[in-house]
Amino acid sequence: MHAFEAQDIRKSYGGVHALRGVDLAVRPGSVHALLGENGAGKSTLVKIMTGVTRPDSGVLRLDGREVAFANTAEAAENGVAVVSQELSLFPHLSLLSNLFPMREPRKGLLIDKREMLRRAEPILDQLGVDAKPGVLVQELSLADRQLVEIAKALVTEPRVLLLDEPTSALEGGATDRLLEILRVLRSRDVGVVFVSHILQEVMSVCDEVTVLRDGELALSADPIANHTVPTLVKAMIGDKVIATQTVARTDVAELAGEAHGALVVDGLALASGVHGVSLTAKPGEIVGLVGLAGSGPTEVLRALAGIVRPTAGNVTLPGGRPAPRGQRAHVAAGVAYVSGDRRRYGLMLEKPIWENMVQVRSMGMLRDGALLRRGALLERALGHVERVGIKVGSIEDDVSSLSGGNQQKVVMAKWLDNAPSVLLLDDPTRGVDVGARAEIHGLLRGASNGGAVVLLCSTDLEEVVAACDRVVVFYRGTSVAELTGDQITTQAMLELINTGTPDEQAA
Amino acid sequence: MKGMLMSERVKDDAPAAKSAPGGSRDALPSLLRNGIRIRALTGADWFSALAALVLLVAVIGIMNPAFLNSTQLINVVQQSVYIALMAAGIAFLVTQGEVDLSVAGNYVLTSIVASVLIQGGMNPWIAAAIALCGAVAVGALNALIVQGIGINSLIATLAMGWVLRGLAAAVSEGKQIIGMPVDNSFFRILGGEKWLGLPVSVWILIVVVVVLTVVLRATPFGYRVREIGSNEDAARFAGIPVGRTKTYAFLLSGGLAGLAGLLGLAFFTSGDPTSGGGFELFAVAGAVIGGNPLTGGTATIFGAVIGAILLKTVGVGLVYFSIPAVWSQFATGAIIILAVSLNGLMARRKQRRRQT
Repeated sequence: MHAFEAQDIRKSYGGVHALRGVDLAVRPGSVHALLGENGAGKSTLVKIMTGVTRPDSGVLRLDGREVAFANTAEAAENGVAVVSQELSLFPHLSLLSNLFPMREPRKGLLIDKREMLRRAEPILDQLGVDAKPGVLVQELSLADRQLVEIAKALVTEPRVLLLDEPTSALEGGATDRLLEILRVLRSRDVGVVFVSHILQEVMSVCDEVTVLRDGELALSADPIANHTVPTLVKAMIGDKVIATQTVARTDVAELAGEAHGALVVDGLALASGVHGVSLTAKPGEIVGLVGLAGSGPTEVLRALAGIVRPTAGNVTLPGGRPAPRGQRAHVAAGVAYVSGDRRRYGLMLEKPIWENMVQVRSMGMLRDGALLRRGALLERALGHVERVGIKVGSIEDDVSSLSGGNQQKVVMAKWLDNAPSVLLLDDPTRGVDVGARAEIHGLLRGASNGGAVVLLCSTDLEEVVAACDRVVVFYRGTSVAELTGDQITTQAMLELINTGTPDEQAA
Repeated sequence: MKGMLMSERVKDDAPAAKSAPGGSRDALPSLLRNGIRIRALTGADWFSALAALVLLVAVIGIMNPAFLNSTQLINVVQQSVYIALMAAGIAFLVTQGEVDLSVAGNYVLTSIVASVLIQGGMNPWIAAAIALCGAVAVGALNALIVQGIGINSLIATLAMGWVLRGLAAAVSEGKQIIGMPVDNSFFRILGGEKWLGLPVSVWILIVVVVVLTVVLRATPFGYRVREIGSNEDAARFAGIPVGRTKTYAFLLSGGLAGLAGLLGLAFFTSGDPTSGGGFELFAVAGAVIGGNPLTGGTATIFGAVIGAILLKTVGVGLVYFSIPAVWSQFATGAIIILAVSLNGLMARRKQRRRQT
């Protein structure tokens, strides 16, 4: 019998069919991959199975019994837990309190903290969370928050666990620990549904695979043994041809500012413990910065954007000027910082697409004078829509109406609008599907060809291999190695970020 | 060079834009065109406040036809000018997630300072200019406390309001400042003269609404205000100077409160340290009801002014409905709660409709 089964689920949002009759049946003691492109309906299906939204029609069965969950709490009571894509933690509460939202173990009227710790500690250990249970969630890194989110699902000791892209914010080691936990859960007869963009993970841990395409089943509970990465990709995208190869957008090249000379970092140190970082990035090359979370790449990028002030060292901008002080001065000096957290740092979601696109140049930098003509701004934005290749109904629609990939292209457009000579990207394709990711890489290549200095941080090493000409590897707060050309492989980077030195035995 | 190339390219693409203004609209049948205009009208942030105002005037008029005469209506607007000016300034703050509750205190202190100077023999116009500078300085002080020290604007400006009101009481020794030279052009023009049938103070309000609407809609400052309210982090990352923008808004709010104080002085021809009671509530509630939600991100100056006039009309209406004077404060408060609740419910419904 199936542990949890969804049958003939249909759901539409205002005339758009998100799901048109799909099934998903999870066996106990198995890991079931749920795949599909962005917008294929994966998240909708997960939401329906965990009580977040209700289907228009179709049934859910738990151990053969028909169920309808009013909300996630009710699903959790029935043994169905979810780790959702959007983090849902309370930033002002401690890590420990976040693990038991609304269901703290009690002793009389009081919360039984000892019992909470007893239950949480083994799980936190397994996941490799180093933070103390009493620390506030807002002080945790994104990767740690993701782990807390997973721990929160695990403390309920679920019989069915749904994970919606749990690894998008995790670095290598944490991902491996998570996959190991999934194997343990499988041995304990838990039914796991695993949604991921990263097909290698899926191949290594899953038993069966269901693929959605445009709200319909493309593959239904097929044994993973029948598949390879290419066959899965084929199932996801169907006959559509998607350029996974990076094609430089030449029309973006003319937007990017020309960097006269290299960006030079010399002996940079930060309060966070980063020290002795030196690197040079020349116009026309895309330089990757990689390392485990906290080892330096993101921190260095934020310092180069003027968000944090270095405690020592020199940064020279292209053209020979020393880096100014403060974030706004950096923007004015032609530095663009694209964050992967686009909802928080990149976009004004309930503002129209065009206004988001023109705001750095016209509102932030006042480069279009004291009176702004709406018509001129709209025209400029329209040109950008064309250049960065956004699929859009109207540029007067809110940005929130766009898919994740298109949203990130809006962020790219708003920075290119300001003709930056230095482009800093921190995990720019987080939660973006394969096709859109290649297109964003095309934008980077275009900007680079146009003469900009491009630095890219990514937690996804495949992305670094695909996009970068040169890679600086960080280990424990400093740059330890540089790879170029054919040296840039996932294998080589994995070894370096985990050990700080190339693995001699493998060589 | 690059810029030239870009705009040429853009022109080729322009016909593809469904949403570009002008252009293809001419091809539409006129009925459909009007339909679009009406939709744009009813969808505007200020529409419900204006509709409520018209309805309220109609209801009061039906109950008591004497209300529906132009002198009476103009009178109501004239009495609304003070809170309407404050609401216009507060709209710039509410949109950014800040507020200024010191406006009533600023109103009182400005009129006391000006009247004391005038009583001492100073030319009223010069005294007014000095007092207005003081009002802007209060705005700067608010900005310093909120931006510089990092105190929440709710508590900082609430306390500042007390400071100002207390100062006004101390300077005036709790008494009305009388003996104004009412024949002076200051009191004659600002206090009662009519141009084209409207009091000068109403014309000033109209000019303020027009100028601030242009500032809000067509200048980088106006865009910045709304963008900061939409997502402050993203605004800072985009190079928008958040602190400076908020500071300008505090200066504006202080200045408009001061202007209101001067118009009040000109009209009442005396400085009264006990005047302006509850003006901050009317101004904030008016701005919110008029379409400047406390959640920020969107703003309308016209709406803020209409909201303030609406609340004033309610107050006047209470007289017509012969509510006993002892109950009028209760009724006003209750009606503000009702209006803000209705406004909130409607905003939530609108948002839900957008999501589905």
